[in-house]
Amino acid sequence: MSSATKASRIGEELWKTRVDKVNAELVTLTYGTIVAQLCQDYDGNYQEVNKQLEKMGYNIGMRLIEDFLAKSNVGRCANFRETADMISKVGFRIFLNIAPTVTNWTSDNNQFSLIFDENPLADFVELPDDGRAQDELWFSNILCGVLRGALEMVQMQIEAHFVSDVLRGDDTTEMRVSLVRYIEDEMPPDEE
Amino acid sequence: MVVYSFYIFDRHAECIYKRRWLPRPASMVGSKSSRPTSEASAPGLPATLGQSARTTDDDAKLIFGTVFSLRNMARKLGGEDDNFVTYRTSQYKLHYYETPTNIKFVMLTDLKSPSMRVALQQIYINLYVEYVVKNPLSPAEHPGGIGVNNELFEESLEQFVTRVLS
Repeated sequence: MSSATKASRIGEELWKTRVDKVNAELVTLTYGTIVAQLCQDYDGNYQEVNKQLEKMGYNIGMRLIEDFLAKSNVGRCANFRETADMISKVGFRIFLNIAPTVTNWTSDNNQFSLIFDENPLADFVELPDDGRAQDELWFSNILCGVLRGALEMVQMQIEAHFVSDVLRGDDTTEMRVSLVRYIEDEMPPDEE
Repeated sequence: MVVYSFYIFDRHAECIYKRRWLPRPASMVGSKSSRPTSEASAPGLPATLGQSARTTDDDAKLIFGTVFSLRNMARKLGGEDDNFVTYRTSQYKLHYYETPTNIKFVMLTDLKSPSMRVALQQIYINLYVEYVVKNPLSPAEHPGGIGVNNELFEESLEQFVTRVLS
């Protein structure tokens, strides 16, 4: 897979030279505080918390993609497989210093899974012990939104959701990403 | 070299920033008296004030139409990844840079100027991303140019154009 190795090299290079680093625990604790506050604000309605996290991520993603492009200077991907490698090996690498595994492709090449062997957002985390959070809360749901926002800006409408999370006691943390469609260029409104 | 004007268009085909610089080149002043030449040959011409009733908004629309069509034609001929970089008329040179997020940067300069592609890319990376995208108080999208008109961006752009480019 040459596109994967190429992406790893780009990610590695950028991580070393172009990225400002902050303390990982600061990120973990800040994110944890946000989720905890949302759980409080929505009074334990975890569906709503998931939704809010996704929305926050979406707004982040829309801006993050510009930073990503400015730093990496990469062009458009030729296909969705290349996009997946870019997300995992370059995107996650430069912003979170992880590279989730891309796997479980469907035969039409429109759906894949990201397996998170490590997840800086979830270090030190234990889900609330109220019998529901284990089944309802997707703690790192902000990442789904980030992907959706970022890819929308580069003309890809996608859908992303977590299917398992080690925080819930699953064996792996897995996010499913599916391409809905490529977005056509917008034309200027007609006015004569 | 002289930079005449600079435009940014977002992915919704809207002009989110425009800026024009003086002075006008001598050839333009001359063309005032022989008006008929300019209209047909130069759709995105930086109009002299007295020359026509066209406003800067109209200019922006014409320029967008021009680069949009040119880019689509270039892609049809050269493949999806192809894009045009610049074109010139007898009066001016138009430089074009498009990001993968479909933000289009356009700069009009005089004929003597070298390729501005790298300069436009620098404006995107060092000015637009730094001061507009990363400004938490500016909206993510810019209908009507809200947020792009911030002081840091404008001042740095001004500096970039006057110091670096001239």
